[in-house]
Amino acid sequence: MRAPDKPSDRFIIKFTVAAIMLFAVMAVSCCLGSSGTSLSDVIKYLTGRSGELAQTTVTIIGRIRIPRTVTAALVGGALASVGCIMQGVFRNPMADPSVLGISSGAALGAAIAIVTGLNGIIFFGAFTGAYIGAVIGAVVTWLLVFTIATRNGHYDTSSTLLAGIAISSIMSALITVLMTLHLDDMERVYMWMLGTFSASTADKTELLAVAVALMMPVLIFIAPRVDILKLGKEAALTLGVNQKTTLAVTLAACSCLLAFCVANSGIIGFVGLIIPHIVSFFKVTRMRRRLILSFMTGAVFMVLCDTVCKTVVAPGELAIGAVTSLIGAPYFLFLLMGSRLRRGKEKISS
Amino acid sequence: MNLEVRNLSVSFGDVKVLDNVSHIFRAGKITMLMGPNGCGKTTIIRALVNLYAGSGELSYIPQDISGDTGLTVRDMVALGRYDKSRFFQGETEEDSRHIEDALLQMELNDKQGQLFDTLSGGEKQRCMAARAICQDASWFIMDEPASNLDPVHSKHILDTARELVKNAGKSFIIVMHDVNLAASYGDEFVLMKNGTIGNTASKLTAELLSQTFDTVFESVTTPSGKNVFYAE
Repeated sequence: MRAPDKPSDRFIIKFTVAAIMLFAVMAVSCCLGSSGTSLSDVIKYLTGRSGELAQTTVTIIGRIRIPRTVTAALVGGALASVGCIMQGVFRNPMADPSVLGISSGAALGAAIAIVTGLNGIIFFGAFTGAYIGAVIGAVVTWLLVFTIATRNGHYDTSSTLLAGIAISSIMSALITVLMTLHLDDMERVYMWMLGTFSASTADKTELLAVAVALMMPVLIFIAPRVDILKLGKEAALTLGVNQKTTLAVTLAACSCLLAFCVANSGIIGFVGLIIPHIVSFFKVTRMRRRLILSFMTGAVFMVLCDTVCKTVVAPGELAIGAVTSLIGAPYFLFLLMGSRLRRGKEKISS
Repeated sequence: MNLEVRNLSVSFGDVKVLDNVSHIFRAGKITMLMGPNGCGKTTIIRALVNLYAGSGELSYIPQDISGDTGLTVRDMVALGRYDKSRFFQGETEEDSRHIEDALLQMELNDKQGQLFDTLSGGEKQRCMAARAICQDASWFIMDEPASNLDPVHSKHILDTARELVKNAGKSFIIVMHDVNLAASYGDEFVLMKNGTIGNTASKLTAELLSQTFDTVFESVTTPSGKNVFYAE
């Protein structure tokens, strides 16, 4: 007797669908905003025929719409990917990008920059003080968490998790203290912590794109080893996978991605936690494939949410964090209830 | 290839778990590693894994898998075929053959699409055994592989081990608490006590067991002529 054919997860089809959806939502998002732009204008701009367009349209598309949409896609994809990897590394479905404490550290860095007035200074011709502060804050937090979690040269996942959560709460507390001491800057710090894509510029987007283009391949490369680590440290070693180096590389790449995400758009919760679970409903289980689909799904989701943000109360804006939760959570609950119903109710009868 | 530990001492903080242990585990045998809880069995096999993992000749089955894996049974077994030198190449035909044979051997072929996390304890252990089998290394180091298995599957996993020793020249180190199963399947017995190897033998006796576990063991002959041990 032979075993039945191996179950296929139809990854290629799912990936193609996700890619088409991503292009579609990005195209739509480029057209929408406080002033309308037609799809043909966007296509003209992208195909190098911007001479046929009005100067204001070129500025809107090139300086505002495209950087913003691309940033949303990159941040959404990166956050979802980091969440996906975190849940695998910590073998915990509740893990998300915030457990490393990087987001809060970055937020603290930005908050310090804002209250000390450094935010007004522009560094390297393109980056605000808050941006630089966020990157520095993320790096400092990352070093702290790693130093605490690495004892006697041994790397411990549960220490990382606990150290990350503890440091995260310290950072958040410090932000609260800062905001209380500088009530006049409170609104700006607060808006920053809620997250927004409205401050996206072409320079920031390029830098973020470089970070994503460098770090995502690292994660995609290392993803199968995250699966191997689920067997335990010793069994992984017999397959040639060293726990310590794998975790160090994985978490460093994740931290770098997070630093740039938070520096670009503030803290956006929920996406990193929920998108990997939504991908689970697509019945893709192996880490590398989950990771790639998480990136695509996260990007689609974030562009959608940002489109809602900038159109619903135009010319005003909604906070992106609120929209991700308001759209994502009900959808997730819907999927969750569906899966419970399919499994059927447990019956105990006597 | 024999596996050897020489003058091995391990301590966690002030607690000495292994005290100057030396032993040669001989290839082509089923070695049963026995002893009371906390005597250092898991520590000694972990040390073996750390010493010899680089050779690629070892597969290790831990006592259990912690946390959510999110992987299906087939994914889990397929991890045994992981080769880090193949960066992006998927499963080869040889891999698939090994995986399917291992699934069949552990009677998991109709569960291969199910999530590992939803399996029962015994099914998980069979899945882990299948993973080690498809790894196709020459040494199997198993930490209580039958602790959650029913009597039939316990015998089945040990029968499989014996078959692999006879037909494929594999070697086993198995941590085992069931003295009667150990006695009927083991070729060699390493009996540990308080962080040292108390005795080694090629046949288990009531006296050896009594010494190791500080309890009186008796040997009884069943009507069908088999020797069984029981503790007073």
